[in-house]
Amino acid sequence: MHPLTAIWIKNWNTLCNLRRILQRESIFKTVFILLFAAGMVGGFFMMFLNGFQFLANLGGGGFMITRRLFSLFFLGLGAMLVMSNIITSYSTLFRSRETLFLLTAPLDTRTFVTYKFIESTLLSSWAFFFLMIPFTAAYAWHEKLGLIFALWTVVFSLPFVFLSGALGSLISLAAVRWFPRSRLVWGAAAVILLIFAIRAILQIRPVIQEEATFILNRFLPGLQLATHPLMPNNWTAEGIMALTNGQWLRGGMLWLVLVTNTALLFLLIQEFGRRIFYTAYQQVTGSPKIRRRRDELLGWLDRLLAFLPHDIRGMIMKDIRSFLRDPLQWSQALIFFGLLGLYFSSFRSFHYNEMPPIWRNLVVFLNIFSVSSVICSLAARFVFPQLSLEGHSFWILGLAPTGMRRILLTKFFLAALAMVTISAGLMGLATWMLQAGSALSLISIGLAVAISLSVSALSTGLGALFIDLKQPNPAAIISGFGGTLNLVLSLGMMLGSILPFGLIWHWRVSEGLADSLFIKANLIVGLWVILLSALMVSLPLWLGIRSLKNREY
Amino acid sequence: MISIQHLNKRFGTVQAVNDLSLEIPAGELFCFLGPNGAGKTTTIKMMTGLLRPDSGTIRIGGFDVQKQPVEAKRIMGYIPDMPFLYEKLTPVEFLKFVAGLYNVAPPDLSGHIESSLRQFGLQEARNALIGELSHGMRQRLLYIATFIHTPKVIFIDEPLIGLDPHSIRMIKNLLRAKVRDGMTILLTTHILALAEDIADRIGIISDGRLIALGKLGDLRTQSGDKGSLEDIFLNLTASPEPLNPSTPMAFEALAK
Repeated sequence: MHPLTAIWIKNWNTLCNLRRILQRESIFKTVFILLFAAGMVGGFFMMFLNGFQFLANLGGGGFMITRRLFSLFFLGLGAMLVMSNIITSYSTLFRSRETLFLLTAPLDTRTFVTYKFIESTLLSSWAFFFLMIPFTAAYAWHEKLGLIFALWTVVFSLPFVFLSGALGSLISLAAVRWFPRSRLVWGAAAVILLIFAIRAILQIRPVIQEEATFILNRFLPGLQLATHPLMPNNWTAEGIMALTNGQWLRGGMLWLVLVTNTALLFLLIQEFGRRIFYTAYQQVTGSPKIRRRRDELLGWLDRLLAFLPHDIRGMIMKDIRSFLRDPLQWSQALIFFGLLGLYFSSFRSFHYNEMPPIWRNLVVFLNIFSVSSVICSLAARFVFPQLSLEGHSFWILGLAPTGMRRILLTKFFLAALAMVTISAGLMGLATWMLQAGSALSLISIGLAVAISLSVSALSTGLGALFIDLKQPNPAAIISGFGGTLNLVLSLGMMLGSILPFGLIWHWRVSEGLADSLFIKANLIVGLWVILLSALMVSLPLWLGIRSLKNREY
Repeated sequence: MISIQHLNKRFGTVQAVNDLSLEIPAGELFCFLGPNGAGKTTTIKMMTGLLRPDSGTIRIGGFDVQKQPVEAKRIMGYIPDMPFLYEKLTPVEFLKFVAGLYNVAPPDLSGHIESSLRQFGLQEARNALIGELSHGMRQRLLYIATFIHTPKVIFIDEPLIGLDPHSIRMIKNLLRAKVRDGMTILLTTHILALAEDIADRIGIISDGRLIALGKLGDLRTQSGDKGSLEDIFLNLTASPEPLNPSTPMAFEALAK
């Protein structure tokens, strides 16, 4: 039997054991996640459908945008796949514990890298299909296309996913091999130079452009790149449309171009696996085991916090240092918030600030929704399990001359301070870039603060209530009943706060809600959010403190 | 069976393995001893091909680990100190996977697996998920998996961690039996009694250098110490500043 066959049989067996694994998980969690995912897909479908209808109402220009939007959409998804595959490839190839196991088996590195590439591409492609399905369904619904459109979408999407994944894996392998930690700056400089070079090459376009295309390119940045004939996303989008419209020759040619390029990258992955993987693996595992560090990280902050009681200062510094030394935590936070920050700061480049008020409103509330979602997921992932992860060292806190109340409140204030600073900062940036007006800016920032405080308190309090000191695996801690309840309540709090304000402001700009009624409604909803936040902050913390005080260690 | 010539490995400024040469014939149980950070695990990782030596060669059964890695790995097995197991598989599925990985297809693989599970007292757990097994059960499963392709050489890093006395006795008997059958075993341990009990030869490594090698009697001669292996080991690897229990620790003074 070929080793690769054995590996796929193993993966198939793992999949078959899914039922048993799900039985060990909370049913509440499984049902909730399924319903939430269905709701998200449905929501995306409705949003995309409304978008297509809006464009259709614009007439000729709208029709042109709709056609090109397909390419733009695949460009975005492709970029997302490349990015996520860079990260997933790194962890599956170099950091996974399975790597050590498989490398001691009689498996050549070419086969190993091929398997890991397919695995990481499949792992990182779920979000692609999660977004692509509602988008293409909305498009098909709007354009009244038949089921054959779905077939061609699948036929083109699969090679496109593997092509983007291969690019990510190649970048990851090359970066580890040729740009190890000490040469990171040189690596970053090379990547930036490469991006500029590609951009310069792609800008060599026919001087003569249709006036409409010229205007569209000015209006929608990225469109020029997305519709470039050398871009794989363009082959995908154009190919799907060509085959749907019965242009067999053009569609077939584009599919073959896509497949041959994917096959070429696949060969390159195998060649990289054969030639550079082992050396790259040595770069990661063969680096000094004990890195030279300063005696004290952030010693200046420790001295700055001298005014705090010593036990609180000690806990704050321990948590900050642990966070900074755990790349998993800070890198996820940095990626999510960094991407949101980049997106918000480019609003004016996209001319979002010149949009009609109804759209600007929608964008502002969608932004609060996205910032809050990230806050909820990060709190569920990192704040909720932090007390449980104290694990076997919890006795240090338990025996220390400090109270459980102080421990829990310190953890809450630290989490809340970080969440509030980031979310309020991001919402301030978003509303400023959108020129949203002072009232809407104030409400957005207020909502971000309220949600951050509530979610921090929920995660800290429920983390104490459902503490599990025997479980070292954070994934197992958050997948239990407590973790699920925390996520559900956090998302509930988020929706319960954002939706009422969103509806009032939508009615105001769409139906012309009267001034007096608008002000009254804002005051009532504001009061509701304050009361809800007060409850969400105080109750979980009170329950958590009570539980910790009554606990035996 | 194992031939190491002038092996060197450096991590940054630390020389983890320093000009190590060693020959281990077939059918020998060799025990590698050394203080923490002496270079034992690094040496094993180089022998299994996980780490590339800076210089020197390693041959397993005549195959150069760096130049013929697949051939060398085909005849070796490795049990690390913190082994990885697929938690979402059952023991039977895992063993069949390992058999596939090593392209082992005995006429009655299922029967072989069943008898191995029975021998190691895992027949009751055959359909449980590995994630549900206790530490001792996982260790025993790992031994079955390692022996499934009848390797000629086995590397074991700390074989008895977390095992109960019954499992320890079983593993010791098993290793001795395998050596009698001609298998070569290299293991590292901090349990000196284990080395004294089962090793044919012992090597002591300190700061990446092999400082003593041979049977217990040879080590006594080399160290000039007639005592137990513990005395010999402590004598050879003596720390430059041994702890003196009568000296008050720095923070006791601080507390005062």
